Amino acid sequence: MKLRSTLQAALAAATSVLVVAGCTGTGGAASPGTAGESKTLRYLVEQPEDAEALKKLETRLADFEKSSGIDVKLEAMPYDNMRTVLQTQLRSGDGPDVFNWGSGPGFGGALAKAGLLYDLTGAYEQHGWKVYPFAKDRVTVDGKTYGIPGEMETVGLFYNKDLFAKNGIQAPRTLPELTAAAAALKAKKIVPIAASDKEGWQGGHLLSMALSSAVGSEGMDALLKGEKSWNSPEVVSALKLWEDYGKAGYLPDFPTSLSYDNATALFYSGKAAMLPNGSWLIRELDANAKFQVGYIPFPAQNGPGIFTAGLGSGPYVSVGTKNQDAALKLVDFLASPEHARWLVQNLGVIPPQPVDVSGLKLSPLMTQTLQDTSKLASDKSDLGYNIDVLTTDVFNKAMWDGVQGLLSGQRSAEQVAESLDAAFKK
Amino acid sequence: MNRTVVETSPAPTAAPSSSTPVKPPRRSGRPRSGTPSVTRKAQTRLGLILVAPLMAMVVVFLIFPLGNALYYAFVDFNGINPRPPFVGLDNFVELFKDPSVWAALKNNVIWIVLGTVSPLVIGLGLALLVWGVRRGSIFYRVAFFFPYILPQVAVGVVWGWIYDPTRGWLNRGLELVGLGSLGTGWLGNPDTALYAVLGTAVWATSGFVFVILLSALRNVDTELVDASLLDGAGPLSRLWYVVLPQIMPVFLMVTTITLVGGFSVFDIVFIMTGGGPAGATEVLGTYAYGNAFQLNRISYGTALALVITVLAIPFAVWLNRLQRRLSLQGMGA
Repeated sequence: MKLRSTLQAALAAATSVLVVAGCTGTGGAASPGTAGESKTLRYLVEQPEDAEALKKLETRLADFEKSSGIDVKLEAMPYDNMRTVLQTQLRSGDGPDVFNWGSGPGFGGALAKAGLLYDLTGAYEQHGWKVYPFAKDRVTVDGKTYGIPGEMETVGLFYNKDLFAKNGIQAPRTLPELTAAAAALKAKKIVPIAASDKEGWQGGHLLSMALSSAVGSEGMDALLKGEKSWNSPEVVSALKLWEDYGKAGYLPDFPTSLSYDNATALFYSGKAAMLPNGSWLIRELDANAKFQVGYIPFPAQNGPGIFTAGLGSGPYVSVGTKNQDAALKLVDFLASPEHARWLVQNLGVIPPQPVDVSGLKLSPLMTQTLQDTSKLASDKSDLGYNIDVLTTDVFNKAMWDGVQGLLSGQRSAEQVAESLDAAFKK
Repeated sequence: MNRTVVETSPAPTAAPSSSTPVKPPRRSGRPRSGTPSVTRKAQTRLGLILVAPLMAMVVVFLIFPLGNALYYAFVDFNGINPRPPFVGLDNFVELFKDPSVWAALKNNVIWIVLGTVSPLVIGLGLALLVWGVRRGSIFYRVAFFFPYILPQVAVGVVWGWIYDPTRGWLNRGLELVGLGSLGTGWLGNPDTALYAVLGTAVWATSGFVFVILLSALRNVDTELVDASLLDGAGPLSRLWYVVLPQIMPVFLMVTTITLVGGFSVFDIVFIMTGGGPAGATEVLGTYAYGNAFQLNRISYGTALALVITVLAIPFAVWLNRLQRRLSLQGMGA
């Protein structure tokens, strides 16, 4: 009886390992094929900030369905959920046929390395997709191109022009000016900078902004190529800036408890004067902000600084899709110049390819961003890098945890820099 | 004594008497039950057929994945390589040297202690309060049990709103009663985050403990309680010496479930904080998941999951045996 009960207990407890064991499939082993091909596709996208955008995309996809005869089942998932379940879904074989995901080693690159993406190198040649070469590089791993790079976007500081004017504050053009503006706003009981970091990934943007403006694109190149260490004084200084701002009360209390949505709400409500965020928010700001919004790069010590630029989410095809031909037709549609123009006009999204915007009605913020991002392709101006799309998962975890630790008082700037350096070398 | 004398001094020539042990009858080839062998074989076959589906399920869903997990714990599988290299005990050696594992284990221990004791105390208290209630008992049972049947994801999301620093009810409520200075970013403050998540789990689990213990209390011998009352026993004495011993096996069963749950806790932490801020709420379950599925260190994550299992087994077995012993002693409801 004792043996029996012991065995029962052991077997019962052993079930807890099944969570991991049951999911240890050999990712990427599935070979795409046309066997059992159906005319229905699952297309997964990140939940847009504006629900209206999803409806517009549905309408747009209806055009594709009509012309191709392929039924597209559009699914939307919040970014944070997608970050945690996408890889598991793809591994289990229950993933979408086509999905939008970030470009760069930390996003599409990680999936490609895991063997979960369909190789689109041949499709590029066949369809002649006109993607900017720098953007194509971000979705190319070991010589194979796996996706259509997502929208071009910048990360910077949005500010409430009305609130600034009401309090007699000018838009900061240097770091000392930003600090002075933050102090003045705090004195008037206004949250100076609505920085949020509950989800963790925002920490990557905070560091990217401060560091890009401090060291420029060349300095960022040196860091990302490993020519400069991540515990160098410049990195420590960029981290310390946020640590000091937190201690000085220029950020909300416990940014690590403030979600991305809450920070945006704080800005909309007029309780916060500045919002570190990206150009993907412009459409929502145009629609919802009841005040004039300005958009500036995060300032440098002696100048206006540079925008942090990166690529957002674009379409990839799952290696396990049973609808390979249909999936490629959908990707071809999404990469077309007509769709690029539609994206700019309807979703405020800037695809990484030449777009004819003649005749389009655009807001001043959108026009400004179009000009800024066009520099990405033409090399006319210095632009910083959004770090997390260019680094590995291990580094990103160290960065996100590190900035969270910094903002919650658990770690110092020096400790975070050390952990970044160690993670980069792994 | 007389019997000993008789047995040790038998008469050497005595004929078999009534005191001589009776030999058992010689075994014959036929079974004593008289069941024909054909029927016995048929019964055996039927038994095997009836057991086979369950055995197949155990093999497919338990033994095989367990073996699979053991295999992955001894190789270095990153999710891609179909032939991962054998690394022996490296994963286990690494996890013993990994400071994040110890930090997560510390959080697990806090969870196990508070997450076991609190629901037991609250659940028992509620059960004792409702024990004597005649009218409205069903309402209380449903009301207190309801949180337990809610999906953990929904519970985590809703409590995340309650803890929200800017729009959450908790901070607003504190402000309303003049305790606004106690408000904080509950899930983002490393000093409160783990306890905030734990509070949510206790809220959800107490109802389960309450319902089970209330059922056990229904079987308590009230005559003993009345007798102790007449003897002048106070409420605590009655609880400790009269009520608790009678419900002890059930109490231990509930303790086992909540305690083992403390080792394998994952979902509520994952939903509410993801282990953050900066690992402040990381438990072994979330750390194993993060390594396996976010950092593609599937073997390391599997080794961690095995360690969680190994840690939980002794407690489960010990409590199981204790419960069984008490039941055999005739204690309990």
